[in-house]
Amino acid sequence: MTVTVELDDIQAAVLRYRPEPYYGTHILGHFDDAHAGRELLARLAPHIRSAAEWWQAGDTWTSVALSYTGLTALGVPQDSLRSFPDSFRQGMAARAEQLSDYGANDPQHWEPPFGSGDIHIGVSIFSSSPDKWRAALAAARHQFGELPGVTVLMAQDFGAQPDDRNSFGYKDLIGQPAIEGSGADPLPGQGRPIKAGEFILGYPGEAGVRYPMPYPEVLGRNGTFAGIRKYQSRVGAFNRFLGENAQTLQERELLAAKLVGRWRSGAPLTLAPEKDDPALGADPQRNNDFTYASDPHGREVPFGAHMRRMNPRDTNLAVLTDVNLHRIIRRGTTYGAPYDPDATSAQDDEIPRGILFIFLAARAMETIEFLQREWINDGNFTSLDDERDPLVGLQPKEQATFTIPKEPVRRRIHGIETFNVLRGGEYLFMPSLPALRWLAELGR
Amino acid sequence: MVTQTHPAASSALSPESRQKVKELRDLFADAPETARTALEDVIGEAASNESGQDESGTPVVSAGRIGLRQGKVSELTFIAPLSPDGAKRLRAALNLLHGNAHAADRVGTVHDMRFAFLENDTKLLFATAYDGDWDTYINDFATKIPAYMDLLFSAIADWPGIGDPSVKDVIAKYQIQVEAWYVANPDLTVVETRRLERVGQALEEFLDKVGQ
Repeated sequence: MTVTVELDDIQAAVLRYRPEPYYGTHILGHFDDAHAGRELLARLAPHIRSAAEWWQAGDTWTSVALSYTGLTALGVPQDSLRSFPDSFRQGMAARAEQLSDYGANDPQHWEPPFGSGDIHIGVSIFSSSPDKWRAALAAARHQFGELPGVTVLMAQDFGAQPDDRNSFGYKDLIGQPAIEGSGADPLPGQGRPIKAGEFILGYPGEAGVRYPMPYPEVLGRNGTFAGIRKYQSRVGAFNRFLGENAQTLQERELLAAKLVGRWRSGAPLTLAPEKDDPALGADPQRNNDFTYASDPHGREVPFGAHMRRMNPRDTNLAVLTDVNLHRIIRRGTTYGAPYDPDATSAQDDEIPRGILFIFLAARAMETIEFLQREWINDGNFTSLDDERDPLVGLQPKEQATFTIPKEPVRRRIHGIETFNVLRGGEYLFMPSLPALRWLAELGR
Repeated sequence: MVTQTHPAASSALSPESRQKVKELRDLFADAPETARTALEDVIGEAASNESGQDESGTPVVSAGRIGLRQGKVSELTFIAPLSPDGAKRLRAALNLLHGNAHAADRVGTVHDMRFAFLENDTKLLFATAYDGDWDTYINDFATKIPAYMDLLFSAIADWPGIGDPSVKDVIAKYQIQVEAWYVANPDLTVVETRRLERVGQALEEFLDKVGQ
């Protein structure tokens, strides 16, 4: 497939898939003064790989992203700061209403440093080998540690889970959008490639026009917006739900599959409706190769299943929707203790483990706000009234349901709880490599 | 007729409500008798509804950037200047679509739409009730039904095209704040109404069979 995007200028993290197995660290930092911030960017820049030949990724890469307060702290000129979208300038905590982040997910319950405005920079290291990860982490720590004007607020290791499973025991991050002009052939089932402008700034999007981008051109072009959301997985509540609503081990695993649309192995219910097929789940050429044409009534994958909500594909939705406008590049990472199938207590809910969810898109803020309001914390778009996403939805205290279409009548489970609680988040801008150098040279 | 304190209006009212009632009576003091009598008939009930809530407890709130919202339903009302011959073209286009609102059916969030020409065909009054926020799906309209959107709204003098990023600003510019708005079923979306219709039909069929 031909390359029409400027891969040499785009950060590797935008296009490289999470490796298997994966190891890494997210570092969140604060610039005490503009000079130190620019110096850190100057030192990091040579270590940030481009997206060239991203599909051959197997190595280690580091990404850099900046918040609005970070760009301000770096001394980015006012006319440039004003060219960023309002939602980005406000930061994720201030967008709680648009994100439906209330109740247990309200920013007032977030862990520091989230929601404080102190997060200026996010640096993430991804690696397929523990040794290379540790070497890259040591180098990054060295760059941070040497600079007196830069403070590390949080360093969260991730990955290194048994069989790469997430905190609920699933293989995750299987479906990703194919991006037109990025150079690799789509995987089977990825659908038609989506216009590059939906994911990278400076290119036409699905409507044929470029979305507004930050000024000047060197700062905006080939960059993208990103968001981070830290979830605590309530594994006790999740296991209790499965146990209370299934009699046998087999029924429990089927219910777990209905929540997501995939068995924990990753095998989709569309291709393995009766029982798990681990070989299918492990095969990237097959595990995403389906449409919902054969499942128009949701009897295999419920309309409310996480996978079908987040990418409805050819589902006949009740509300007119262009599903290609609401896709995000997902770089979720699992942290903390591995999934424990025997955990059922309230204490188990608080054992640190969960998902640091990273998403990227040219309109990342608008897209995640749409997803949170329409596809995660509502069910109207697919005729499910108020029902919410079973995995990442914020469930109301009363009348929370999960509906499983069945013959002759559907099964509606009452009392589903919030399984992933939000503990923090921020909107970030992931600049191009030339933009990183431009930022490092501000004021010179 | 001498103004009498309505028995229901006085007893349980807070000082704020009593003040409001007094202001209303002052305003209506010079009104025709029909108006004054009508006011006294409804005053007790209206004044005791202090929070602006209807009986089911759904307040009228702002629908984000523009318009009002009640429960899940929002309204949008705007008056926009038309280009020369814009009214003529739009009238013909509306006649063409009359009885065939397939695109609006597909949208799935629109309860109603009204188009009226004002001031000798120089302006358009557009009023609609819909589910959710007015701009949530505007990008989707731009890629899924751009022709319908542009056919209906390109009569507006400075309509930039549904795909133009400035289209939201143009709509917001002409929006007018409505003073009051009533919604019978604020928690019923278009989608939910359709679902309940299907459930109702299925239930009636079931009852027909059981009752035979």
